[in-house]
Amino acid sequence: MTCNRRKVQGGQWLWPVLVMLLMPATAWAQQIEGQVVDADGVPLPGVNVVLPEVERGAVTDAEGRYVVALLPVGTHPVAFRFVGFETVRDTVTLAAGETVTLDVTLVPATLDVDEIVVRGAGQPAARLNKASLGVSTLDARALDAVRGQTLGETLEALPGVTTLSTGPSIAKPVVRGLHSQRVVLLNAGVPQEGQQWGGEHAPEIDPFAPAQIEVVKGAAGVEYGVGAIGGAIRVKPRDLPATPGIGGEVSFNAFSNNRQAAGSVLMEGGMKALPGVGWRLQGSVRKAGDAHAPEHVIGNSAFEEFDGTVAVGYHRDRLGLDAYFSHFGTELGLFSGAHIGNADDLRRAIARGEPAVDYDFSYDIDAPKQTVQHDLLTLRAHYQLPSDDWLEVQYGFQNNQRKEFDAHRRFGDPLDEPAFALTLRTQTLEAKLRTRPRGRFFGVAGVSGMNQANRNTETGYLIPNFRAMTGGAFARGTWISGPWTLEAGTRYDVRWMEAFPRENLSSGAFVQRTHTYQSLSGVVGAIWQFASTWSLAANVGTAWRPPGVNELYNFGVHHGTAQFEVGDPDLTGERSVNLDATLRHASARASAEVSVYANRIQDYIYQFPTLDETITIRGAFPTFEYQQDDAILRGIDGQVRYALTDWGTVQAVGSVVRGTNRTTDEPLIAMPSDRLTLSGIVTLPRWGVLGSSELDVSGTFVRKQTRVPENADYAPPPDGYALLGVGLRTEVQWGSVPLSLSLEVDNLLDTSYLSLLHRRSGPQRRVAPARPAGHAHPLIVSSVLQTTRAKDIS
Amino acid sequence: MTPITKTLTYIAGLALFAFTLAACDSTEPDDDGAGEGELITRVVLTLEGAGETVTATADDPDGDGVDIQIETLTLTPGTVYNGSVEVYNDLADEPAEQDITAEIEEEDDEHQFFYTVEGFGDAVRVDITDFDDNELPVGLAFQVNVTDAASGSGTLNVVLSHYDDEPKNGVDRSDETDIDVTFPVEIAP
Repeated sequence: MTCNRRKVQGGQWLWPVLVMLLMPATAWAQQIEGQVVDADGVPLPGVNVVLPEVERGAVTDAEGRYVVALLPVGTHPVAFRFVGFETVRDTVTLAAGETVTLDVTLVPATLDVDEIVVRGAGQPAARLNKASLGVSTLDARALDAVRGQTLGETLEALPGVTTLSTGPSIAKPVVRGLHSQRVVLLNAGVPQEGQQWGGEHAPEIDPFAPAQIEVVKGAAGVEYGVGAIGGAIRVKPRDLPATPGIGGEVSFNAFSNNRQAAGSVLMEGGMKALPGVGWRLQGSVRKAGDAHAPEHVIGNSAFEEFDGTVAVGYHRDRLGLDAYFSHFGTELGLFSGAHIGNADDLRRAIARGEPAVDYDFSYDIDAPKQTVQHDLLTLRAHYQLPSDDWLEVQYGFQNNQRKEFDAHRRFGDPLDEPAFALTLRTQTLEAKLRTRPRGRFFGVAGVSGMNQANRNTETGYLIPNFRAMTGGAFARGTWISGPWTLEAGTRYDVRWMEAFPRENLSSGAFVQRTHTYQSLSGVVGAIWQFASTWSLAANVGTAWRPPGVNELYNFGVHHGTAQFEVGDPDLTGERSVNLDATLRHASARASAEVSVYANRIQDYIYQFPTLDETITIRGAFPTFEYQQDDAILRGIDGQVRYALTDWGTVQAVGSVVRGTNRTTDEPLIAMPSDRLTLSGIVTLPRWGVLGSSELDVSGTFVRKQTRVPENADYAPPPDGYALLGVGLRTEVQWGSVPLSLSLEVDNLLDTSYLSLLHRRSGPQRRVAPARPAGHAHPLIVSSVLQTTRAKDIS
Repeated sequence: MTPITKTLTYIAGLALFAFTLAACDSTEPDDDGAGEGELITRVVLTLEGAGETVTATADDPDGDGVDIQIETLTLTPGTVYNGSVEVYNDLADEPAEQDITAEIEEEDDEHQFFYTVEGFGDAVRVDITDFDDNELPVGLAFQVNVTDAASGSGTLNVVLSHYDDEPKNGVDRSDETDIDVTFPVEIAP
């Protein structure tokens, strides 16, 4: 980068009369101007020039020229940002009446693997142009505040994201009312393939590992492929260190409610002998006992988790090579009181309202329980071609093993042998070419493939054995001019599946069934930065999803919900068309992102009770068949933050979703309740050994869901509730080691509550998509004592 | 080719090789009849009284609700029957695991049968005659008292409750029902 400054004495400009009237003229008669070019001297139009402290900015014109006028006297930081180029930061000092010329040369950036984020993130102003779709981000700082909680709970702080939970240990993120197979979870760049069929299977992600989590809301099929009809969650590992030396970080959390302890140790470094090599080792442990509701212990809800990651990378000149391995292992008990036999049992349990047994607190994990192991290995290479375009290849291997142990087993100890065990192996391969910016355009094109095999053990049969292969090709382009960013893309995918269900679904010989699904995805989007601190984005996207193997071949009683579920091998794929408009604001004092959307899903697959009950020897069960109808999900969600003073900030995060079955004109089942969180954050003065400290108080208000289809659940939707939380975070310098400490109290008033999407469940079940729970299943996380952390030990 | 592009080609080739290699093995399952761990497919009531034996069977041969057959229990007025119930899983692989009656007997403090008669007023009564170590009823053995006043048709509901965490108290059903079958009952004149 080069910056040439020339000073020109001002005074030759005409100022607007209004400003003259309001301000002393000399205070405002200053400006900066200049030209932005690339390394070859070609002017760059559309570059954002931002002076964040004074909330002023401009965009370069076709000749790369800009003027930022009416600036106050003083020294101001200024940043030049343009997609595909390194951001240039500088400061200008303006004397009264002065015009400073600041010419800037931008050099191409090492492009991030980011799929959807068009321009660099981090700085407030960059958020204005980050995506034409609604995107919410939890950065490292926000993640640190909630480390130790499950991924689902962590994401619940984001607008448009709610949680589907089954007991304290299983929480699944719901993005704008959609989850599981309708949301793609990307971990270290690879689509996570676990046993995600059921709503009661949590994503296999170590909450200590990521540096950033991003939730992309709305159909994003072009970027994320088959399944991303509701959006995508991107879990990004930390970047490897680029410089020699060793650093580390130690975290420790304690949770009072379930007497949970969680800790993580991280070491990372670069090598002097091998410049460009970076490495990291990280391991974390969690051990939790039974959770408490205000009136009772939730029996057998204890769990433990052991996770680890190893990462090695080499980044030099034009070549980057990365290897990343992670292991996730958990063993979790399932609430024994949720183990029920038939529909009558469930009705009685709901009528009673609380567990039949008064459980004692314990760390023991007894049957019924699950164990899940998930291993992920990814290898990635990226290389900058002599033409300066980037070539990337990424390979991923995942092995997911799930075992479910029943509450009891005939002729033996239930813990000896799982009721069923599944092994899902997935390989993914993706190759893509990213162009360097050419004029106002840059793009990416690539191919991807997935190969997957699911196997059952001998004992039981939950999801039939199957093999699936997916192949796709995609291309996307972005064009930037002045305040406008336009993007368009398309993708084509084919999925072939071979499954081995039983002949008449419940019994008989295994038969081979093959299915082939194929379709197009597409996206068109635009961002208009109509003022230096405001932008408006619109996005139309379409994505599709083939029916899941559970939806095709499910047959039997789902014990958690006492439904007799019948799959349908003739289901067709779902297609969504999503319309999204997002207004963004970013200035030194305030930031906001508010989206409205409508996501129409054709052939939406859902379960609905038929009139006939299914009679079994265990009793009668309502029969639920999979059906397909046209559905539409509409809503608004957003986050607004405003700094009242230097030390006080207020924030509001809210989500509203309305799901409607267009065929029957009834509400969709299991839609999240309206939700609003209001927080006040106070920055405390430094005091004694305490560095910067922050106190926040937040109230979360959840409205009762009144839009539910008739006769589709055993119990009416639970009442709304309000929760109060308090958090205190501070930093202490301990020798040369900075420590950050925090104390969080969730649900300070110990309110007993039940979310519509909290569900009861037994492990003996077959799989089912989301269903709201009827039984009281309050989940209270009280005081969370958190984190001692050291950085830069070396 | 430069050494770097060579390395890249090598890595890409290796990944492609690993990817396709695993695509070839089959996931076809062995047809070993692996089934539901806790299934009950057949419940047999046997009633002996007045020199005759009456049986009624509820049979769900392929498990879980397809083609379930429930026979009618035909009883004679003015008879006291000694009843027993047998429970089977005909889909179990091992013959030794097909008879579940013995297991219930062994864990009789964790099980209880409930017999409910409807349609006859007080004219037909069922009493459990066997008890566990805690003196609580089990219900593998029972007595059916059909009085002279009994006539017409009705039902006999048989429930087997399993007590896992919940304590068995001899009165309340548990939330874990293993059997819930309703047999039609005819009183033969």
